[in-house]
Amino acid sequence: MAMGDTLILGLGNPLRGDDGLGPAVVEWLRRQGLPPGTVVIDGGTGGLDLVLTMMGYRRVLIVDAAELGRAPGAWACFRPDLARVETMEAAFSMHQAGLAEALALGAALRVLPEEVVIFGVQPAQTGWAPGLSAEVQAVVPVVGQEILRTLASSPQVGGRDRYETGSEYGEDSDHR
Amino acid sequence: MGTLHVGVHYITRVEGHGHIVVDVANGTLQRCDLEIVETPRFFEAMLRGRPYTEASHITSRICGICAVGHATTSLQATEAALGIVPSEQTQLLRKLNFFGEILDSHILHVYMLVAPDFFGVGSVFPLASTHPEVVLRALRMKKLAGDLCAAIGGRHTHPITLTIGGFTHLPRADELEKLGARLEAMRADVDATVELFQSLKLPQFERETEYIALRQPDEYAFIGGTITSTDGFEYPISAYRQVTNETLLPHSTAKHTRHNRESYMVGALARFNVNHDKLHPRAQAAAAALGLKPLCTNPYMNSVAQVVEIAHCVEEALNLIDRLLVRGIQPEEPPPVEVRAGEGVGACEVPRGTLYHHYWIGEDGRITGANCIIPTGQNLANIEADMRALVPTLLDRPQDEVRQALEMLVRAYDPCISCSTHMLEVSFVGATQGNS
Repeated sequence: MAMGDTLILGLGNPLRGDDGLGPAVVEWLRRQGLPPGTVVIDGGTGGLDLVLTMMGYRRVLIVDAAELGRAPGAWACFRPDLARVETMEAAFSMHQAGLAEALALGAALRVLPEEVVIFGVQPAQTGWAPGLSAEVQAVVPVVGQEILRTLASSPQVGGRDRYETGSEYGEDSDHR
Repeated sequence: MGTLHVGVHYITRVEGHGHIVVDVANGTLQRCDLEIVETPRFFEAMLRGRPYTEASHITSRICGICAVGHATTSLQATEAALGIVPSEQTQLLRKLNFFGEILDSHILHVYMLVAPDFFGVGSVFPLASTHPEVVLRALRMKKLAGDLCAAIGGRHTHPITLTIGGFTHLPRADELEKLGARLEAMRADVDATVELFQSLKLPQFERETEYIALRQPDEYAFIGGTITSTDGFEYPISAYRQVTNETLLPHSTAKHTRHNRESYMVGALARFNVNHDKLHPRAQAAAAALGLKPLCTNPYMNSVAQVVEIAHCVEEALNLIDRLLVRGIQPEEPPPVEVRAGEGVGACEVPRGTLYHHYWIGEDGRITGANCIIPTGQNLANIEADMRALVPTLLDRPQDEVRQALEMLVRAYDPCISCSTHMLEVSFVGATQGNS
């Protein structure tokens, strides 16, 4: 099991337009260099296996495209209980398991890091072609900087409800 | 007299979309269908006109769970058409990758999809709260299986290193050594899996049918062999059509198959019934501990046969790693290909049963025709025959129990409906509810 203080987990499929946001932020952070004790992983389109990826860390910062119901490029920080799992019981299929299911499973197993923060960015489009939209591309360094600030600030166990700075906090935040 | 109308609209914890429709009026079964409503996927048409080199990569996308199985079968078909014989090292590495995928798929099915039924919960999520050690074990085992696939195939699913005649990348000896050490450590989890399934009570339901699987003289067959039936038939792979006899039915976007009887069964239970004598001793011990004996005619036991195959594949993967390390991984280039017109058939025992790929290649190296016959498609007629035998025995039970028994039956087959369409939902037809 990987051990360390903080895991930064970028999620998404770069072949699906703005779904490539997570890997793009991972790439940006790798270029900047990160403080010791921080591990960065491109988790791709990971499913339930993400539980094992996150296990053993004290803190995980997750970056992913998210349906916030806002303008493309808007972003928000939120806690996993807001990453809604719609009709999880009824529709459960291995082909559909994603971050929300992994977080639900990790919570049920009581193995999630004590601090889980999701950085969600509203996509403009998630079609069948690689490449970020201009709006989402522009927010990559913004979210990256916010992650670096979060790493630099002393972590607050039990922490704040949100770290959001760039846009309003979407009440209907929904992980895609 | 029982009047029962069951409709399960979208069966959960299976891959893809299918419905079960049961209609019983005055104690007589009127209708019992497994409707397959998954959209046809047209992979065979996609292959036409593509260069032969692309076939394994295109067809591996038929399924994210048995992608290695599709790729391996595809390569076999192409190699048969072009007269290429892969090296021993290639065959050993393909088999190791294949065992990784069988393990991954079987662990997923027995733990995440089947086990919740026996704990009386709707899915793996409540199971994680009540039995975290069971779910953590499953995740741990699945991770190792995935890592094994990635070490050989280049990634967890949709292998990228497998190519015609060989590999584009070979694992290092130290990678294989580490995987070997982890597989040895996994034996304790395999034993715990056997113990778990010993404690679970499976429904008692027997219906004899024909069981079909590939068979080889010196091993429990997964890649190639002869098509062998418990009714005493044996065919070379090239004669697969004499076995499958595909037909179209109005209620299913997947074709049905039949051979010597109204239906036949493929998959782990069929393999066990055909090849139990070839199992590794540790897998035979697991079968004995689980009460699985040939000829087993209880379809619910398919999940138990999968547990036995988990034990087998761990041991055989260890044997393969030992052999590869003793031989040493040799740098090898795939043999040169002389493009020519040809036709070839490949067949493998993928997690859900026998998979066939049949290609026709033109003089220019482009595919002119393709036929893929998927295990779930071959099991559909047999699942319906089981339902027709099972439902009349359940007429005095509440509707929810009937629905549960039918869903568990279909789930035991580990159907992969997306693959076969070219399947789940139970509909109790009509207005009246339950039993009278």
